[in-house]
Amino acid sequence: MKTKWNILFAVLMITALFATACGTPSTPAPAQPPAATQAPAATEAPTAAPTKDTLSGNISVSGAFALYPMMTVWAEEFQKLHPNVQFDVQGGGAGKGMTDTIAGAVDIGMISRAIKPEEEAQGVFWVSVTKDAVFPVVSVKNPVAADLIAKGITKEMFNKIFITGEIKTWGEVVGKPEIKDEIHVYTRSDSAGAADTWAQYCGGKAQADILTTAIGVNGEPALVDTVIKDPLGIGFSNLNSVFDSNSGKLVDGALVPPIDANENGKADSDEYYQTKADAVAAVSSGKYPSPPSRFENLATKGKPTGLTLAFIQWILTDGQQYLDAAGYVPLTPDQQTASLAKLK
Amino acid sequence: MGMKKNRWQRRHLVEAFMQLLMRLSLVVVAGSLGLILWTIIVRGLPALTWDMITQSPKGGFYMGKGGGVLNAILGSLYLAGGGTLLALIFSLPIALYLKTYLGDSKWGRYVRLSLDVLWGIPSIVYGAFGFTLMLAIGLRASLLAGIIVLALVELPIMTRAMDEVIRRMPADLEQAALALGSTRFEVALRVITRQMLPGIVTAVLLAFGRGIGDAASVLFTAGYTDRIPTSLMRPTASLPLAVFFQLGTPYPEVQQRGYASALLLTIIVLLVSFGSRWISGYLNKYTIK
Amino acid sequence: MNELNPSAITIESEGRDDRPSVASQRSRRDRSARRVFSVITLLPIFLIVVITLALVARSWPILSAYPLKDLILGNIWKPDDKLFGFWPFIMGTFWVTIVGVLLAVPPCILVAIYLTEYAHSLTRSTAKPILDLLAAIPPVVYGVWGLLAIVPFVDQVLAPFSERWLNNIPLFTVNQPTGFGILAGGIVLAVMIAPLIVSVLYEIFTTVPNDLRHASLAVGATRWQTIRSVVLPQVMPGIVAAVVLGASRALGETIAVLMVVGNVAKVPTSIFDAAYPLPALIANNYGDMMSIPLYDAALLCAALVLLVVILIFNILSTLVLQRMLERKWA
Repeated sequence: MKTKWNILFAVLMITALFATACGTPSTPAPAQPPAATQAPAATEAPTAAPTKDTLSGNISVSGAFALYPMMTVWAEEFQKLHPNVQFDVQGGGAGKGMTDTIAGAVDIGMISRAIKPEEEAQGVFWVSVTKDAVFPVVSVKNPVAADLIAKGITKEMFNKIFITGEIKTWGEVVGKPEIKDEIHVYTRSDSAGAADTWAQYCGGKAQADILTTAIGVNGEPALVDTVIKDPLGIGFSNLNSVFDSNSGKLVDGALVPPIDANENGKADSDEYYQTKADAVAAVSSGKYPSPPSRFENLATKGKPTGLTLAFIQWILTDGQQYLDAAGYVPLTPDQQTASLAKLK
Repeated sequence: MGMKKNRWQRRHLVEAFMQLLMRLSLVVVAGSLGLILWTIIVRGLPALTWDMITQSPKGGFYMGKGGGVLNAILGSLYLAGGGTLLALIFSLPIALYLKTYLGDSKWGRYVRLSLDVLWGIPSIVYGAFGFTLMLAIGLRASLLAGIIVLALVELPIMTRAMDEVIRRMPADLEQAALALGSTRFEVALRVITRQMLPGIVTAVLLAFGRGIGDAASVLFTAGYTDRIPTSLMRPTASLPLAVFFQLGTPYPEVQQRGYASALLLTIIVLLVSFGSRWISGYLNKYTIK
Repeated sequence: MNELNPSAITIESEGRDDRPSVASQRSRRDRSARRVFSVITLLPIFLIVVITLALVARSWPILSAYPLKDLILGNIWKPDDKLFGFWPFIMGTFWVTIVGVLLAVPPCILVAIYLTEYAHSLTRSTAKPILDLLAAIPPVVYGVWGLLAIVPFVDQVLAPFSERWLNNIPLFTVNQPTGFGILAGGIVLAVMIAPLIVSVLYEIFTTVPNDLRHASLAVGATRWQTIRSVVLPQVMPGIVAAVVLGASRALGETIAVLMVVGNVAKVPTSIFDAAYPLPALIANNYGDMMSIPLYDAALLCAALVLLVVILIFNILSTLVLQRMLERKWA
């Protein structure tokens, strides 16, 4: 008899323990609509007319880590305006955002790259919500720094430095063959949107096209840091890693060599950026070429409606003000209008 | 004579030299633990604030604004806790069956071999498999999916660790119980489980420690979000991934917090490790020697 | 399932099973419990099969679209151009693993010998928890350590040293001025796999009967001579198996390696080069590319390649180790 009870007890114990494990997570839940505790019930956003202050419901977002920090800011600010809106933001990569969007598991996918044709074919709708830009970086201790500032680097040269590897010395870059200092090309070792964008500017298609003899560094901060320390190095970086977010000046030791976009053989004053404000203005106006500036996109399954639409519209209008501090470039009025029109 | 003496000297010289090398190796291996802990503490401690462990990220946390990694700490505890329990449900029966019925038989060997092989499968492969499994059963990135994959990672570790301690149990006890007329199942349940409690606890905590530190398996399966999961179906952050992502941001203060998160993870793992030592020592008092 | 039973019984039990009255209820329960337990016990074997089959199925789109030779030996990885060559990643995995194992094995053997043959029981009981802790430290923490300590160390100490003294030796040329690369990855891996190798070796060394040692010592051999001529030959297969086991662990290590190895998709030529191991390839790209079918299949195919190699390594080393350790249990 006793054994029976023992078995029963053991089984009960295990079930109870497991049930507790399943149960505990739900106990510290903040007061929430009961629907939220169900599986991603968020899919069905209430389609109440998006009139001000009556907005409520749940918006679920998933996707690229590059946009994740920005999205958490947007979500927080939007929630301040509309306290009844709940957000569920998760990272996981652009591909996950895309898969979730296509499957209808989330309302919005954050995609930090261009939307691929095979994805669009599956009914994905997307709008651009912000721009960011990748800049070339060298060290201020570069042996030909003065020439670089005066002449700039053309797209063709970047192609020969980063993709084909034909240009090997700094002398060749500035047209002084007597200077034999070897160029050290740096790239990102992790899979990075910035690297894709930079490769596309240099005439490649994706990160994998960057010279395989380039030195991979893990993460943007480390890449910039490495280039600063190597007088012969050249790399690339997003806006917020080359410019100090507080002072708006270039990070100590970094130099952004001008891109000679009009190929007139010299760097014009609006091609050389020493402050973040200059750079943002150039990216925003389109003076800075694209790529290496690029749009960041939000994807939905079909055209967004209701709450999701209201949120994306807000991002495209009032939400733009939070971009600057985060190192993104707000859309110009034209681009803003274009994106808003696309939503209609 | 002289030659003999030379040889004598040489072999003792070799002896001394090898001993020196061995001691040196021991110092290097043990020293690397010290180095790791030292590095993590020195870099992590300055950024380790009360907020770090009591708050979830606020908006803009990844740009250096306020908040902490409570979401990741709790997420990791839920993930590893759930994974450990789920693994225990399977590993205890397996370990007991191995002992009571299979012993060192052919099938026993197969099962042990398969457990060892499973132990060796890298967690990234479990992650990829887990994701495939999720697609098959229609499960999204969530706490539950993470728990299932972690249970897979932990199962062989826990079972083999249990198997090793159970194997070491003196055969007399089992035989005495059998001789007194107990069935094998009763022996398994009462004698072995009770006698091996310290070993089982150690095995469970070992697996828990492994589970809480594993990043590659939860990368695609548990998702990542700033919110503390409120049900098994919600995605969840985890401490290893929090470390990883914070180090990837361009903001020095966020990277600092990444180091602090690594320190937190290390502290948890060390606590589990010491805890298991202490508990098994404590429980050992109540077993028949 | 039925095959499980007969060979399983190690202690005489038929008599009891036949006993009708007293224990019939209990033995019936015994039987049903046995049935449930035996099914659960087959789970590990079942899991290995399922994992392998699932990965084969998921990587089928790419396996059927390209000849296996092109995938494995292909040198170019450009998914946008539909080129999926795994060779640089396979070589990356190989190099990092080899460096890690080479760095780990000699000290691990010495430590294991020291612990079995020389150490006081006090040293032994201190070394055990240290090894346990080393094994318990999570990969991501190893990665942070690598980033903060090993990469700068390689960059500022080892690379300049090699540049100065070893630069003419092919495998030691310094082609790149950061510490990120195979050597950094190998050092981190070496520390990570050390506890496993030491504990397996320790188990192996303790299988050698003491009589053999005593006999050798009695004829006047020094301890090291005894170890070299008596102990080591006895355990050689075990040492090889332990090394292979360590290697298979190193092959699959993901996060820690990915953080320090540089991740450049090219066949390395020097231990200071960056490499891009298979696990890093999967971890870095899967989240971003899972929405593109062929890319998804390619990455799961990488997981499959990894799995197959590790399965082979693991099964071989485990078989050897089981055989050796059986002597001890017998």
